[in-house]
Amino acid sequence: MKEEIRFKLLAISSLFLLIVNFVFAQEKELPTAPDFTLQDVDGNVVCLDSLLKKGPVFMSFWALWCKMCIKELDALRPYYDEFDSLGLQMLAISQDKARAVPKVKPFALSHKWKYTVVLDPDNILRELYNVQAMPTSFIINQDKKIVFVHQGYKPGDEEIIVDKVRCLIGKKCKGECKGKGHE
Amino acid sequence: MSRSINLQFWKSGVQIKNSERFLKLIFTCIFVLLILPAHGQDLRLSGSNRAEYWFFVDPNLDTTNYKDHLTEKLKLSLDYKELTMRGIFFFWEPSLRTIGRLSYIDYSAQYKKDPVLLLYGRYYATFGRGLCLNQFLDEDFNNDNSLFGVKVDLSGFKSRVTLLSGKPRNIFFEELQYKIKNDTTDQIRGVNFETSILNFDNPWGFNTSLGGRYVRINRKKDMTPKAFTELFGGGINFKLGPWENYLEYAQRLGTIPRVGGRLKGDGYLFTSALSLTGFGLSLQYMDYNDLGVFSEDGYRYNEPPTPIKSGISVNRGVDEIGYGIAVVTSPFDFISLEIDNNKVSTHDPGLGRFKELFYLMDGMAGVLEQGVKAITHPTELSEITIGVDYLVKQKIELPVNKKTETKPYLDLQYDFGTFFIELGLEQTFTTSDTSKYNDRAASVSVGKPERFVLTLRVEKRNRVPGWLIEKLGKETFWPMLELSLDLTTRHNLRLRIGGEKGGLVCSGGVCRFEEPFRGIKAVLTSIF
Repeated sequence: MKEEIRFKLLAISSLFLLIVNFVFAQEKELPTAPDFTLQDVDGNVVCLDSLLKKGPVFMSFWALWCKMCIKELDALRPYYDEFDSLGLQMLAISQDKARAVPKVKPFALSHKWKYTVVLDPDNILRELYNVQAMPTSFIINQDKKIVFVHQGYKPGDEEIIVDKVRCLIGKKCKGECKGKGHE
Repeated sequence: MSRSINLQFWKSGVQIKNSERFLKLIFTCIFVLLILPAHGQDLRLSGSNRAEYWFFVDPNLDTTNYKDHLTEKLKLSLDYKELTMRGIFFFWEPSLRTIGRLSYIDYSAQYKKDPVLLLYGRYYATFGRGLCLNQFLDEDFNNDNSLFGVKVDLSGFKSRVTLLSGKPRNIFFEELQYKIKNDTTDQIRGVNFETSILNFDNPWGFNTSLGGRYVRINRKKDMTPKAFTELFGGGINFKLGPWENYLEYAQRLGTIPRVGGRLKGDGYLFTSALSLTGFGLSLQYMDYNDLGVFSEDGYRYNEPPTPIKSGISVNRGVDEIGYGIAVVTSPFDFISLEIDNNKVSTHDPGLGRFKELFYLMDGMAGVLEQGVKAITHPTELSEITIGVDYLVKQKIELPVNKKTETKPYLDLQYDFGTFFIELGLEQTFTTSDTSKYNDRAASVSVGKPERFVLTLRVEKRNRVPGWLIEKLGKETFWPMLELSLDLTTRHNLRLRIGGEKGGLVCSGGVCRFEEPFRGIKAVLTSIF
């Protein structure tokens, strides 16, 4: 029995080391964003490739019950027009289940969000991007690389996101553009 | 989104079953990782991890008896062109071995190239709004309803067909432990069709879409002659500019499990939403009669929506009628207002349709929920939230017949630029049958963007009625200190020390009675 446990521990440790090795190896290259095709609240098909033809993509995972997610999207609202004129595609990915779907569009419009609000009731995108906490935001450049990931939100965190976007689209920014997707 | 190959409770001293399969999977992963460098440009490995450790006083024993448990959930995805492989490694180990620990490995493999998606493994699926089939993951509530099997999606001509076959499994966290509510040999087969082919450009913004679905549940356990359960239905969505309506109907046919004889049920759901810039209105009407399908151990195959925002339902599609009204408006940039009025109850045809729908009469089991909330920004850097919630629960929290809660609350937030402060106050006045008590809570948070939030919360109950002592104990004071620390933008550590009072919590019609908690919680979440 001890032999078997040892063998398993060895196997798991090997797997862990290889994963760590691979993940760190990947850091030399920016990770590629997984493709997706979903519907927005108006029934239009939204797919990553089409969005990237227009510009880089910002997406934030949110839900009606998530207070901090709504605060983050409200805080980014004043920047929408600036970013839109520069080609940034901004998505708000709703994680509300099928039962809450009818409330999503009225809520988003009542908050005057101009983002493309995408529905993900079956967690397809959440699983694809391995989201563990809400809100989680991603910025994807036009080479389809994930250049920025941000978990959670606190008042003032929007400044980091705004700065990252400005860096990405070549505008003046506070921080250094690390370009490797790691902060 | 995955499949368990090693799913069982580990009793102490009992060896892992399926060891060979487990090792095969590990070595397959190692092999894949070894060949990755040769295909590095097309391959992508990503994942996330959530590790959680609790150290707490056993609520059922004296204060010197401490328990702990560790939960670990690692998700890995490997993408290679149109192929995606996913694995979830889950491990939960409590200190009390008599409960038994739970570990499983789930996996799925998916091929996606328009117009086809093929998936083998563990997955989730909802048809329409869930009247016929709703197998979903509610990770934030620790409720995992999944299927293991095959799913095929075909898209084209503004339409989509989904075919699926799978065995259901439900993992649910309650009474401070993870439980498998169901892992049967029952089989679900279904087809769902949705089309927007009738849509065309027109000046009025009118468009419509249609859907139809069929689900069959084959129960291996049910020995009733000619036993079967089928659900079928359809839905229509029609839009006119900012006004959108949806109607879904579903019917259930089958035999009464173990008893035999014909069982017929049905359900309607109607929603209507008006979406304008700065104003949103949504209305909901639902009426279910014997539509909810569940197994002997309580597992549900479909999950008709409840209109109640706090997630409570009466009996989840067996005998329910209700409505929901929600208004959200931001007339000016500095203020927004939310109003909710929702109700769900059992039927009482003797009352007449109007009273049955809008009133919560004595004798009914039901929930009435009303709330109003205003959020205002007096200056660019400050936010004030003020509101009142009112909730009536009748025959929901037994042995109490009627419980009424009124909760006014106030939140103040000020952003000083380099840091922010948030203050919160709330009071809940509760009447449960003839007894009255109230809970007062105050919290203060200090935070720094990109760094941390430190919260101190204290809550006090003035007295504990007898029926509550049995469930939650005699405690009346719950202080709590929480630190949320951003290690990087991808890694967050959350530490919580103190007490939580427990009580009934619900999500999507599913409820659990949370045990009171006194101890330490540490959660580390990472995404890579």
